[in-house]
Amino acid sequence: MTLIRDLLLFGVLLGASTASAQGSSLARSDRAATVSRVPAEVLVVLAKEEPGEIDPQLKKLTALRRPPFNSFRSMQILSRPKLTLTPGKDALVSLPNGRRVKLTLLRVMPDGRYKVKAAINRPDKSDYLPLLQVVASAGDPFFVAGQTYQGGTLVVGVIVDPKKTTQ
Amino acid sequence: MQSAKTEDEKLQMFFDGELAPEEEAAVRRSLEASPEGSAQLREWEQLRVAMRSVSAEWAGQIDSDALFARIEADLSAPVIPIDRPVPPPVFRKVPGGRERRVWGAAAIGFAAAAAIFLAVVASPGSAPQKGSPDIARGSEVLEVDFGANTGTIFEVEGGAGESLAVVWIDDEEVGLP
Repeated sequence: MTLIRDLLLFGVLLGASTASAQGSSLARSDRAATVSRVPAEVLVVLAKEEPGEIDPQLKKLTALRRPPFNSFRSMQILSRPKLTLTPGKDALVSLPNGRRVKLTLLRVMPDGRYKVKAAINRPDKSDYLPLLQVVASAGDPFFVAGQTYQGGTLVVGVIVDPKKTTQ
Repeated sequence: MQSAKTEDEKLQMFFDGELAPEEEAAVRRSLEASPEGSAQLREWEQLRVAMRSVSAEWAGQIDSDALFARIEADLSAPVIPIDRPVPPPVFRKVPGGRERRVWGAAAIGFAAAAAIFLAVVASPGSAPQKGSPDIARGSEVLEVDFGANTGTIFEVEGGAGESLAVVWIDDEEVGLP
């Protein structure tokens, strides 16, 4: 009888655990399916090796003080457009050098991160970055850098769901 | 009536010289009463003589005093630990109800641990949150096409220790269209 009682208890506990996990999984997949619009922000920075000012708004972005960015002594925010990403729809941001950043939200991953497709090119060209696919958690940026502009280098940061940023 | 086994035992004891004198005489008379028994008796006698001879020869070759002296010396010598791999523990089977209780307790423990783990890690209330150590953080490159350019992918540490993706592509400055 003791063994039967123990087995029953084991089954009940295991069943409860499985139900809990399934509920959680459903909740997350529901979340992934129902996300329709996600805010995003594109940070366009002109970085130069000459000594100068680091824009105070960038001081919290400590990643920009680490390699490969630590050779820059001045950083100026050129623009900081906000946009909304809709799954499957392209969002465009113009850069000062005439190229455009094209961002597309592909999906929300089961772990909550966003899968985003990006491209940076001149209109109707694919002369710089034809394709980039990243996954990024809310508020954590990814960067595309290296375009030469006005004696400096453009650093483009993309932050999905920036309200959650901890930078 | 004696069983065959008892007879065998008696013959064995006869061969070993362990029977009482009157029993030994009775067995010997019984064996000598038949030609087969007499032949068996002669064979055993020859075998016994041969064994005594070999035993005496070995005993003469062994220096018993030296042997015991060596044994005593080994016993009194200090014990030197030897580094040997420890064999895995041998599982002891617990019989009866105790075995069931042990199994049941293990099952309950496992189930409780699984329930707690799943409830904490996978419950809806623990959806991805910022700052939680077991939630994927940062950004990473899944695929990149540099086109005609060459580029490098870096990982840079963010303020919370997360890894942030950096794609670096050098190019010539382009003019405004």
